[in-house]
Amino acid sequence: MDIGFTIWLFAISIGASALGGMLGMASGIFIVPILTVFGHLNIHVAIGASIVSVIACSCGGAAPFLRARLTNIRLAVVLEIATTLGALCGVLLAGIIPVSALFLLFAAILLLSARQMLARRGDPIDTSAPVRSGSWAAKLRLDSSYPDRALGRDVAYRVQRVPMGMALMYGAGLVSALLGIGSGVLKIPAMDTALRLPIKVSSATSNFMIGVTAAASAGAYFVHGDIVSAIAGPVALGSVVGAVLGARILMRVSNEKLRGLFVAILVLLAVQMLLQAFGINPFGASA
Amino acid sequence: MKRAISTPTSTPTSPLAPLERLLASLLHYGTWVASLIIAVGFVLTLIHTNSGVSHPETMLGMRIVTTGIVLFILLPVLRLMLMFGVFLRERDYRFSAIAALVLLIVAAGCVTGAYLAPSMAG
Repeated sequence: MDIGFTIWLFAISIGASALGGMLGMASGIFIVPILTVFGHLNIHVAIGASIVSVIACSCGGAAPFLRARLTNIRLAVVLEIATTLGALCGVLLAGIIPVSALFLLFAAILLLSARQMLARRGDPIDTSAPVRSGSWAAKLRLDSSYPDRALGRDVAYRVQRVPMGMALMYGAGLVSALLGIGSGVLKIPAMDTALRLPIKVSSATSNFMIGVTAAASAGAYFVHGDIVSAIAGPVALGSVVGAVLGARILMRVSNEKLRGLFVAILVLLAVQMLLQAFGINPFGASA
Repeated sequence: MKRAISTPTSTPTSPLAPLERLLASLLHYGTWVASLIIAVGFVLTLIHTNSGVSHPETMLGMRIVTTGIVLFILLPVLRLMLMFGVFLRERDYRFSAIAALVLLIVAAGCVTGAYLAPSMAG
């Protein structure tokens, strides 16, 4: 084991996770590009390490959301049917898809994230749509409420268009397994557009689901031997430390400055991944 | 240090459901235990790594790191099992079946890993 490389892995994971945590993103979206472009690691090894850190961040961040009663546990487990099925398909595809296509897909996801970061998210307006007795949400009793501190009372909300939400979640699970990311990028539209959840509820529920989704693919990658302890260990540890730090810094830095920095980094990494897809690495030996 | 301006002194809302509290504790402590195991493994590896290549102690340290990683992967699985158990005790058979189905899919993922073409990591 190279001590210098281990410390580098630990340090960049702290940075990536702190940065991601500040804007409610999983660190995976930074870790895979950094490990492949700057660390010259095989993309499958990078994905294996990243998926473990995604689980670590999800589990580490879940408790405060649960205690604040923001997580919709019932909805989460229903949607997890779709995300884990997607992950299963992602694992199967990962062995077939050529490496250059993985880099291309990653670049696309990075750009999509950048665009999403620029667009403002708002709470869906009609959270109190009429009850449809035949709907999934009614049958499975998915509708719930969350305590709003600003209002000082519980706010009730309805879960809408569950089948469409499930379809989008399947895609999110697939991309998560394929690229080793939490794929919040794809979960956010599912939560906002299809299910029409309040933002606080969707952030908490999405974070809660990411762990199980990632476990489905991480289990496969571990059994397959893609999760290298010397790489995945420091990355997971650094991500947990970074997530704790990120939550602390979040309260002191202006959100607008952070958003700008974030978009710049995402675009930069997207360009690197695109170059990598065509076999060009400006930072030395190609992975 | 700046103090929080608005301290929520009381929560007028309904008390926390036991399932939420259980899940929060499992994930919170699970994360710290897994992180600690990985850290211990690395300290052991670092101590013994100077003396030579593939020392038995170095291998032991790495094996401890692997244990921590496995615990991280198992944490969401344990979370599903806990949900399955609680739903079952509440006689919510539909949701215990859903939790069981998710567990089954995760298990299928692990089995799939064993049968994938062994080309990827090298």
